[in-house]
Amino acid sequence: MDYRNAFAISATGMQVEKTRLDVTAVNLANVHSTRGADGKLFRPLHVSVAEGKTEFAVGFEQLAGARLHGAQVLRIEETDAAPRQLYEPGNPDADDKGFVSMPGINQVTEMVNLSSALRAYEANVVAMNAAKTMALKALELGGAS
Amino acid sequence: MFGQTEAITVDMVRLALDAASMRHLAIANNIANVNSAGYAPASVDFERQMAAARGALRQGEPLQGGMLAGVHPVLRRGAPAGEADRSALLDTEVANMAQNTVQYQALLAALKQHMSILGSAVSEGKR
Repeated sequence: MDYRNAFAISATGMQVEKTRLDVTAVNLANVHSTRGADGKLFRPLHVSVAEGKTEFAVGFEQLAGARLHGAQVLRIEETDAAPRQLYEPGNPDADDKGFVSMPGINQVTEMVNLSSALRAYEANVVAMNAAKTMALKALELGGAS
Repeated sequence: MFGQTEAITVDMVRLALDAASMRHLAIANNIANVNSAGYAPASVDFERQMAAARGALRQGEPLQGGMLAGVHPVLRRGAPAGEADRSALLDTEVANMAQNTVQYQALLAALKQHMSILGSAVSEGKR
């Protein structure tokens, strides 16, 4: 059994969770941005995750049956969340009635995403460490008992 | 007698070790895809195939090499889950993984013990 596959599969998972963490950080950082670099209002980003394309051989190619692919980030897209309207007449970006549009970022959702990504990342690390333990234990076979 | 015992023990442990490492890959894949939409969970079918050997042992009959014919771990994929966030399954997967890791190590310990018995026989019981 090739243990590099176990590491590679867990690595794809860690990569995906790290992307989710990054995107959550971007959303949270822009929670009060009234204008983006292009002058438009920042729109919350959302990560779509799906099973990957890489084929990981599990050994016994012809007998194994199904295939494993790891995970991958499908796309990072802007969502159409309605902007929040805040009454701030003093703000330079306020409209005629004194309302400022803020990105429709829900802080609670973002925090939940953050901890879910963190936990999933940790689970991937645990899986990788377990593979390491198993491989090292197998190496002890045939040594002095 | 010795030849048969020797062959079936090592063969069986080897198959079980293959099954355990394949199961680890399946669990790692499930954990990596915990947030994937439409992901079909992977599992390994192996223990079910050992029914013949288990039955023989229960009746006190010796194990035959033929009982392992056609027995090999098979990777299966379940029905695709609709919801994207299956993080509730994370604890189940991690628990399965811990169990699988311990089982793998137990199998290795058994194999090591078996080898040391053989070593003892080869050296005629001398140290």
